[in-house]
Amino acid sequence: MSGAAQGGAPTTKAVSDAPNGQPAAVSAKPAPQLEEDDEFEDFPVEDWGEEETQTHGDKTHLWEESWDDDDTTEEFANQLRDELKKLGK
Amino acid sequence: MQAALAPFQEAHATALAQPVANFFSPVPPVQEPGRLYDFFRASNDVQIEGDVRYVLKHNKTTCMTQKESGAWVDIIVSYWRAVKEIIKAEEASNQGRLGERQYVAVYDAWKDLTSNFIKHISGGALPAWAIFTLYFTANHLRRIAIKADDQLAKSKPATVNASFSDDIVSTVAQNQKLEEAARVFNRIFALCLGDRNPDLNESRKWGVYCVANLQFKTYFKLKAISLSKNVVRSIEAQSDLPPFKLYPKAHRVTYRYYTGVLAFLQEDYTKAEKNLQEAWDACYASAEKNKSLILTYLIPCRLITQHVVPKAPLLAESPRLERIFGPLVTCIRKGDLTGFDKALAEGEPEFVKRRIFLTLERSRDIALRNLLRKVYLAGGYDDLKEGQTEKDRIRKSRIPLVNFAAALRMGGQAVEDDEVECLLANQIYKVRVPCPVQDSLLTLPQGLMKGYISREHAMVVLNKKGAFPGTGV
Repeated sequence: MSGAAQGGAPTTKAVSDAPNGQPAAVSAKPAPQLEEDDEFEDFPVEDWGEEETQTHGDKTHLWEESWDDDDTTEEFANQLRDELKKLGK
Repeated sequence: MQAALAPFQEAHATALAQPVANFFSPVPPVQEPGRLYDFFRASNDVQIEGDVRYVLKHNKTTCMTQKESGAWVDIIVSYWRAVKEIIKAEEASNQGRLGERQYVAVYDAWKDLTSNFIKHISGGALPAWAIFTLYFTANHLRRIAIKADDQLAKSKPATVNASFSDDIVSTVAQNQKLEEAARVFNRIFALCLGDRNPDLNESRKWGVYCVANLQFKTYFKLKAISLSKNVVRSIEAQSDLPPFKLYPKAHRVTYRYYTGVLAFLQEDYTKAEKNLQEAWDACYASAEKNKSLILTYLIPCRLITQHVVPKAPLLAESPRLERIFGPLVTCIRKGDLTGFDKALAEGEPEFVKRRIFLTLERSRDIALRNLLRKVYLAGGYDDLKEGQTEKDRIRKSRIPLVNFAAALRMGGQAVEDDEVECLLANQIYKVRVPCPVQDSLLTLPQGLMKGYISREHAMVVLNKKGAFPGTGV
């Protein structure tokens, strides 16, 4: 049976064989690519006008508050209630 | 030689630093790839000085005093010798027999050229704009030094640097040439800062910031970042510099970037934010890499000082930013602590390399705050009393500790009850910015969460007017 799995579907084997597959998968993961040269570059020109700067145009909406007040709050409330019910048992 | 020096004479006639600097380049112009070779072939070791002197003496394009002319002869001759080394190194490299000292020879020759510039500028032989030509020459010296060090490191893994001096604190012996170059840059910096010429238009003080930037780049590369502080201190102690806003943007943006990063590394986030924001605002719009570098520090900074995160379009500025900050930002907003820890661990090598790991780690408190805030919101409102209307509604301010514990466990955090209490106490205690700068702290709320823990009732009693300061509830 294991022979069939090996020959026919190697991917299935890797999944079912988690304890063996795991370390291999980790080592096969490529190391994050770091740019070696992180130096601040020389600008192509010495000076430039306001219209050529980064913030020319719309610059006001680039940051937002760190919390998230969308509809998930309601969902979260329900989940929390369920969780507390379980604890109350 | 006459033809080979024609570009110099034309450049000199403009009385601008950049065209002259373009002539003294270690790489030929794109439109004229044979320029260096032709210049080298126009003379030889024995005759070069006489040749250059003759051309400059009989030049009709530009007028210069005898003193200036003599200085340029010196400089052009040392440039010719540097070009000779560059061509030798290039030929050796093409033939695959590049020796370990080949780039060192280029470096030494280029250093002579730089020293000649320094000598004649401090001797007053050259016009005021020459300080910027010197800057470009020195910038080339920095690149050549890095290349020479690479070459040395490749050929012999450990070189003992005998000429170690006190001002360079480094354990890396492979940076011998760059350390040497750093001392040259010190001299140039002093030459700019100490200029006593009362005529500001002619002053070398205009070179202060671009040379300071050159020093920052060198110290960062040498991993001797703390030496940059001496440069900043010297500039801040100099009371008679022209107003900062009158310097070219390239100088200002780079200077603000480096001083911002320096403040960041000293955990002075308020000052760091101010400098980095200024660098960001004035940055050249198409300088993508520099923009991405500024944001690499500005984003963690603003997380700590303002608790704000970049919006999608800002992260989309570069794939690198998206990759390193995207997952963290998502987890912070969701209050997903487990996801946050995972994103932090995955990004760790890069965060450590950029020196932002510790700062980002601190933003975990904000992710936690957002989760606790959700528990508060999920608690709903107190029942209305008689006579109260909808707009008098207030949120339930007493929240059982178990609710917070449950929320943490829902998010995959294995926490004991005691730990939950500890986390909450920390949130109440946490000061937003431990900043030494006036006027900012006063306006900021003191804790991430306002209230107290009642151990007796196993409850958290939150402030009815702003339980989570600055977040609208």
